[in-house]
Amino acid sequence: MPQRPASTYFRLGLFVLVGLGCLVAVLFMLGRKQNLFGSSLEVQADFRNVSGLLTGNNVRLGGISVGTVKDIRIVNDSTVRVGLSLDRAVQPYVKKNAIASIGTDGLVGNTIINLKAVPTPAPAIESGDVLRTTAPLALDAMLGTLNVSNKNLVGITKDLREITHKLNSSDAFWQLLSDQRLALEMHRSLQNLAAATALLQGSATDMQQLTHGLRQGRGPAGYLLTDTAFAGRMRHATRQLASTSDTLAHTLAGLKRQIQTPNGPLNTLLADTAMGRNLRQSLRNVELGTAGFSQNMDALKHNFLLRGYFRKQARKDKTRTAAP
Amino acid sequence: MATSTTVAETGAITRFAGRFFQEGFRPRYEVQELLHQCFVVGYQSLPLVGITGFIMGMVLTLQSRPTMAQFGAESWIPTMVGLTIIREMGPIITALIFAGKIGSSIGAELGSMRVTEQIDAMEVSGTNPFKYLVATRVLATTLMLPVLTILSDAIGLFASFLAINLKGVTSLALFTNNVVSALTFGDVVPAVIKTFFFGFAVGIIGCYKGYYAEKGTEGVGQAANSAVVASSLVIFILDLLAVQTTGLLGLN
Amino acid sequence: MLPAPAPVAAPAPAPAPAEIVLTVANVSKAFGTNQVLRNFSLDVRRGENVVVLGKSGAGKSVLIKCIIGLMPVDAGTIRVLGQDVATLDHTALDQLRAKVGFLFQSNALYDSMTVRENLLFPLRRHWLTHSPGEEDELVRQALEDVGLGHTIDMMPAELSGGMRKRIALARTLILQPDIILYDEPTTGLDPVTAREIDQLIREVQQKYGTSSVIISHDMNCVRLTANRVALLVEGRCYALGTYAELKASTDPAIHEFFSE
Repeated sequence: MPQRPASTYFRLGLFVLVGLGCLVAVLFMLGRKQNLFGSSLEVQADFRNVSGLLTGNNVRLGGISVGTVKDIRIVNDSTVRVGLSLDRAVQPYVKKNAIASIGTDGLVGNTIINLKAVPTPAPAIESGDVLRTTAPLALDAMLGTLNVSNKNLVGITKDLREITHKLNSSDAFWQLLSDQRLALEMHRSLQNLAAATALLQGSATDMQQLTHGLRQGRGPAGYLLTDTAFAGRMRHATRQLASTSDTLAHTLAGLKRQIQTPNGPLNTLLADTAMGRNLRQSLRNVELGTAGFSQNMDALKHNFLLRGYFRKQARKDKTRTAAP
Repeated sequence: MATSTTVAETGAITRFAGRFFQEGFRPRYEVQELLHQCFVVGYQSLPLVGITGFIMGMVLTLQSRPTMAQFGAESWIPTMVGLTIIREMGPIITALIFAGKIGSSIGAELGSMRVTEQIDAMEVSGTNPFKYLVATRVLATTLMLPVLTILSDAIGLFASFLAINLKGVTSLALFTNNVVSALTFGDVVPAVIKTFFFGFAVGIIGCYKGYYAEKGTEGVGQAANSAVVASSLVIFILDLLAVQTTGLLGLN
Repeated sequence: MLPAPAPVAAPAPAPAPAEIVLTVANVSKAFGTNQVLRNFSLDVRRGENVVVLGKSGAGKSVLIKCIIGLMPVDAGTIRVLGQDVATLDHTALDQLRAKVGFLFQSNALYDSMTVRENLLFPLRRHWLTHSPGEEDELVRQALEDVGLGHTIDMMPAELSGGMRKRIALARTLILQPDIILYDEPTTGLDPVTAREIDQLIREVQQKYGTSSVIISHDMNCVRLTANRVALLVEGRCYALGTYAELKASTDPAIHEFFSE
């Protein structure tokens, strides 16, 4: 029996392995393309018309193949249920509210299914979901639309013709059009309008400057609007002010009442010293109230309205004394 | 007369094939001889088959370019060439070359062994020559032709890639994608399966012609020649059958 | 009449009351309408060389191919070493064939193998298990027997016709068979080489005590190797006897072979 060197077997093995390797590679590529080996996601979509869709046709999302048509079956006389096998990897990108539609690959290419995303948020699709669909862009539907458009067009042109007819027969309109003075007045009005807008622009500029300063926090108003700590103090001050004026109003009301009563304040004032003392006391109270009010106002001035001013004034004085 | 001879021959070859299935798979198994035959039949045919595949791929590409360019479909060349090679050209060209090389060599080898009584000598040496010579060779051709075809396809596609790059630029990845995009299992699997039958036909006819060679050196030449002619013809007939069968199975 | 070569001795006389190792009884064989063997019968005893003499195409080769089971007989029985060849299954036939050597007319050396591989082929194929050392020893021994020890790694195509015949004989001898069937061992060889082969056949007979059936129409071969001669005429065993007996016969059909 002949002796065979080991290298013979090695080369034979290599030869066979390379050949089988090529075959397996091609089959693997095909399998990946047809989604046979990767894990897939089964979803469904109901169509009225699938336009010659076949099992194995591509499903695309944004123009990228993400799966294939797994099966097509007729559910009833107006519904065809299409089972789609989607790549598991695209699951996060296909939402539950995605819309499936039938399309073609190029002008004369294969029928495909396009998945279209809808802007509103929705959870990712899951196995067994049924997608919404839109009717395919069929030629008869397009012709139907065109028919309606044509009818509308007829109405529009009819109306248009009437309008032009009326216009033609109206003397006033033509007079208006041919009046020279009207044009002149129109021109003047327009000039006035231009002047007015110029003024308006000026005010607008001022306004802008003002608001700009305000935004920067410059000027008392600006400060007022930008300082938050101050706002608190202001609130406090106004509250005090309010209570003071309340007291004042109360007192005055009492005074008025006393004057108006039969044993009015006048005689009381004149006859009764106690009353007079009371009155004095009241007046002191009023004095005290107004003093408080004045104090408050002072504090108010110190706090905001004039503080910036005073500072500026002080700085000005300083520079004036330094200059000479 | 010619017809009746052909029919009789077909019957005899069928019986020979039947004997192969009857005896070929019983022990004792001639594994060593089988491996050696695989080496001779497969590995040593690779250079010839490879060159053929290379030229086939290149010529197909260069020939189809002008026509495709007229239609502005140059980007479809890889797809078209890929389909052509994998579905039909690869298997049939490889099988024909294989029939020419291996069919004739098996016919001549077994024929000369017959006329110099080597086959008888094997029989009296405790060896079933049918198993030792015929079964191993038929199995080897059946198993090796598919491998050769796949390699020839691969070489042909690579040649096509080179030919496209002669007049334009494409990347290997794009080329591969273009080829694979139009392929389906229905293209690849039947094409591979039919090569098993081609290989079996080449082996069984070569062995039959050689095993029953007439006495004398003339018989050897005749065995080699008729082995090539008959197996080439049978390859075409099988190819036709394969097309019809895959069509019936809905794989086309 | 050929001058008797002086140094060649007469074949060794067979031991007279030896057991019969090969029986061919009433065998008939036809190819289509051509009746090759008709009720042919022959017995071969242990250690005996029987030459079957006949014209070309008389069916001599068919006879020994029937004996080894390469062809089925139409009628009659062939018993080799006590076993009926026709009734044996594959395994038993292979076992029997390991004890029967066959030297083919065209040598039938395997062209694709070296001399060593050619010799090892029957050894391994007959399920005979030997260690590599024993195998080497057997191959060397067989080649020594035919005087061609140096050709062990050559291919058959590199050898001359006579050498190939010897290698073929060595391949037969390596199994140390009980019976050897020679199919025209000297045909196509030059006279000198033919005499060497004849000599070898006799040496084998003496050394191993094998029985032989030798098919031949070479009268020198017959004279030098035969203990007995069977004359095959029209499919029958026409005459059986020693070379001297048949040569002395006056039967014209017999005389035809012996007159030159």
